[in-house]
Amino acid sequence: MLYFVRRFAFFVATLWAAVTLNFLIPRLQPGDPAEAIVSRLAGRNEAIDPAQVRAVRIMLGAPDGSLLEQYVQYLGAVARGDFGVSYSYFPYSVTHMIGQTLLWTVILVGVTQVISFVVGTLLGTWAAYRRNSRVDSIITLGSTFLGTLPFFWLALLLIYVFAITLRWFPERGGYGGGSTPGWSWLFVSDAIQHSVLPATALLITGPIGWIIGMRNNMVQSLGEDHARLALARGLPRRRIALTYGARLAILPNVTGFAIALGGILGGTVLVESVFNYPGMGRLLLEAVSNRDFPLMQAIFLFTTIGVLVANFLADVLYGVLDPRVRRAEST
Amino acid sequence: MNLFQPEPRGAHTPRPTLRSDEPQGEVEKGSMALLEVENLSVTYAPRDAPVTRAVQDVSFRIREGEFVGLLGESGCGKSTLGNGILRLLSPPARISGGRVVLDGVDLTGADEERLRGLRWTNLSTVFQSSMNSLNPVLRIEAQFAETFAAHRVGEEVGARVVELLRMVSLDPGVLRAYPHELSGGMRQRVALALALALRPRLVLLDEPTTGLDVVVQRNILDRLATLRHELGFAVLFISHDLGTVLEMADRVMVMYAGEIVEDRPAPDLVREAQHPYTRGLLGSYADPRSAEVRVSYIPGRPPDLSVEQPGCRFTPRCPYAEDACGQRRPELRPDDGGLVRCLVAQDGRLPRTPAGAGPGLPVFVGFPAAAGLDRSADPPPEQAVGDPVLLVDDVTKRYTTRRGLRTTSVDAVRGVSLALRPGRVTALVGQSGSGKTTIARLVTGVERPTSGQVRFTAADSTTEVRVDRLRGRALRDYRRHVQMIFQDPFSALNPTRTVGYALSRPLVNYHGLRGPAVRERAAELLESVGLAPAGQFLDKLPHQLSGGQRQRVVTARALAPEPEILIADEPVSMLDVSIRAEILELLGKLVRTRRLAMLYITHDLLSARLLADEVLVLNHGDLVEQGPTLEVVGAARDDYTRLLLDSIPNPFSAARRPG
Repeated sequence: MLYFVRRFAFFVATLWAAVTLNFLIPRLQPGDPAEAIVSRLAGRNEAIDPAQVRAVRIMLGAPDGSLLEQYVQYLGAVARGDFGVSYSYFPYSVTHMIGQTLLWTVILVGVTQVISFVVGTLLGTWAAYRRNSRVDSIITLGSTFLGTLPFFWLALLLIYVFAITLRWFPERGGYGGGSTPGWSWLFVSDAIQHSVLPATALLITGPIGWIIGMRNNMVQSLGEDHARLALARGLPRRRIALTYGARLAILPNVTGFAIALGGILGGTVLVESVFNYPGMGRLLLEAVSNRDFPLMQAIFLFTTIGVLVANFLADVLYGVLDPRVRRAEST
Repeated sequence: MNLFQPEPRGAHTPRPTLRSDEPQGEVEKGSMALLEVENLSVTYAPRDAPVTRAVQDVSFRIREGEFVGLLGESGCGKSTLGNGILRLLSPPARISGGRVVLDGVDLTGADEERLRGLRWTNLSTVFQSSMNSLNPVLRIEAQFAETFAAHRVGEEVGARVVELLRMVSLDPGVLRAYPHELSGGMRQRVALALALALRPRLVLLDEPTTGLDVVVQRNILDRLATLRHELGFAVLFISHDLGTVLEMADRVMVMYAGEIVEDRPAPDLVREAQHPYTRGLLGSYADPRSAEVRVSYIPGRPPDLSVEQPGCRFTPRCPYAEDACGQRRPELRPDDGGLVRCLVAQDGRLPRTPAGAGPGLPVFVGFPAAAGLDRSADPPPEQAVGDPVLLVDDVTKRYTTRRGLRTTSVDAVRGVSLALRPGRVTALVGQSGSGKTTIARLVTGVERPTSGQVRFTAADSTTEVRVDRLRGRALRDYRRHVQMIFQDPFSALNPTRTVGYALSRPLVNYHGLRGPAVRERAAELLESVGLAPAGQFLDKLPHQLSGGQRQRVVTARALAPEPEILIADEPVSMLDVSIRAEILELLGKLVRTRRLAMLYITHDLLSARLLADEVLVLNHGDLVEQGPTLEVVGAARDDYTRLLLDSIPNPFSAARRPG
């Protein structure tokens, strides 16, 4: 129990540190964003009109007061989910923009990550169970081969074959121009149509890491003394493979999986830009190219929180799965 | 064929044998053999290395209820043989010939499902490291439960498990524990209880007490002896530890380079070993309590088994070798109630072991009698005792752990004082957790004492250095004077760096040597630890050296900064028995010729007796006894010291032999 309380305290402390850093870093940067905007609008050589600068400040809601007051304000705003106004999508708020894209990413990347992990773990377990057999060679060599292919090339190949040549699936976007977002069957089926190609691209490469990791861990734990003793004890092969192999081999992968899940909130920049998918990754790309600081900051904060929550859950899960960790922490 | 029954046997009734095809034994004619190993060979055939014949043509039998020891050093193939019998070999190792017949069933030919049924009900095992032989994520009770479930034992399992734990003197509470929550000794008891769970008729013990403290080992061995008498199972006891094997076993087989070289009842083996190798092994053992302690060692190292060689494999190390030995391969032949594989012995030309060298102690005259180690002939040179270089004065080290608001503190060392003098060896003896290593850390300045002082005075100066107050640069300068020799020569050297490089670091760092001078000095150091010609070793990588050679390199590296104090932390415990004395002799010689002060940390009283001038016995951080070695070991006053001494397996006394 102490272990879990400890992990939670650690989680809260890190979260606080992340939020605070997110507050401090932009304030430590030199220069005034309002001036920068005005000078960009006005052109390089023109004098900056203080009235314009003030106007921009008011428009963007630039902070005032002492650093401490700003910090308190900021914490309150973060708690309310208020991240200010987006520069590039003015007058929409950052929260609105993220709300528009979050679900797309979470569904596409989340579902493919979970499937990748499950498929990868199962294939890795199978390969290790039948190690040095033909099944093992096919799985290991096949995934190593796929892993060497550049991801964008694979994505473009999918678009070329299935969208342009065969015209089975739409080539870009999250939904067709004709449908309006909403929970209607028409829209959902349209969205699914659009997600098939990006999901396929993610599913081809996603499981590879889990396959290799799982297989190697499991082959190693099956070579340990306890697995050999289990064999000597006459336990069924399947039980040894599961309880003495897979059960131990999956432990390091759990942490990796949690971190991967945490990263979902940041989206996958590459996939979303290749398929022009309306997710967080594309939003981040646009925020960066338009110097939309509030949006960037909010996305970074979201990603950080996502990773932290996932890490906390991984720690909790690890504690449940591995009794050794609980004890090591509590003594 | 015997019909195998997967059902549990209730009472222990001998099963009728329906075998008709049992080959007639040559040795135990007529008596029923439980295990028959016939011409078993095991080869390792890795893809990128030559084929190694780890076990060659091994044949033996174990009768119902017999306790057989298999003695051999690392790499001799004893564990491979054990795994071959258990059918646990995994590629690249495989059985390349022969068969293993257990109770009439050919294990080598049995398919997997049949084998699975036979396992544990007839043949169970305990591995060396029970740290790793239990599943870390399953509670102990689950590991018992799955064992019973795998053999379809359903009824009264709970009561049986409690009974099994009682047999190995464990509380039923351990059932709820995970393996890492138990001590090493407790885990090994659990492993033993697990091995006896289905009342097997043969238990294969592979180094079951290696790595445990003497006292814990003593408890487990006594338990094992009692249980064996109560339950009547047969045992194949594999170990490198001569004392344990000879004490426990009825009959001992000695293995060398993949072959069994001698097979004889234990008392006969102690009295009159016939194979020169066995004699060599026996010579490396002595009772530390006797007035005169002499041990010997076998120079050289075992042959490379990937190279086919004619003749006897022990020839290069054998003091009795004749011309014929190098050409004709001896057979394992009966002789005087045993079996021996030696041409000289078979012809009866082996000298009888000289009597009178010690109480029942065979001294192998053919090997260099470790002159420097013959402490009885070494009167304490009073005039040679100099002023101490290091004084540990009333030192206490308390470790405090804080959890929330509660703090718990443990005194690793309490009020210990000792002095290290040039040319003298001070041994720190105690079980693990007694505070030996903490004292070493205090002496090296890695840790600071909670109270008390550690004072160092270099031989060429009169200024005293307060080691317990050193920091930064001063601490680094001090470390030049104190060097360590570690227990594990395999991990003490960087595997990717040559010997020359390992030796060059201290020379560069402490002496500021550059260029060819470094190599020259490194070569000198190697020669001083007996690795000559040095040129042959400088460019070798650690894995190309044997354990003993590695420990010599580690020693040479410790000598490089020309220290005044050497701390040797169990320097021989991981080495083969037959070469331990060799390393001890080297250390003793270095201490005395170079006037080094040595702190020798060990749990092994025999090596302390051989090497040390003075012995300090530690128990849970307290110094319980201290004095000249002969006094402490020969006439221990403290109960704990006596317990340590009594726990040492003693093959030469029949007193403890059960039955």
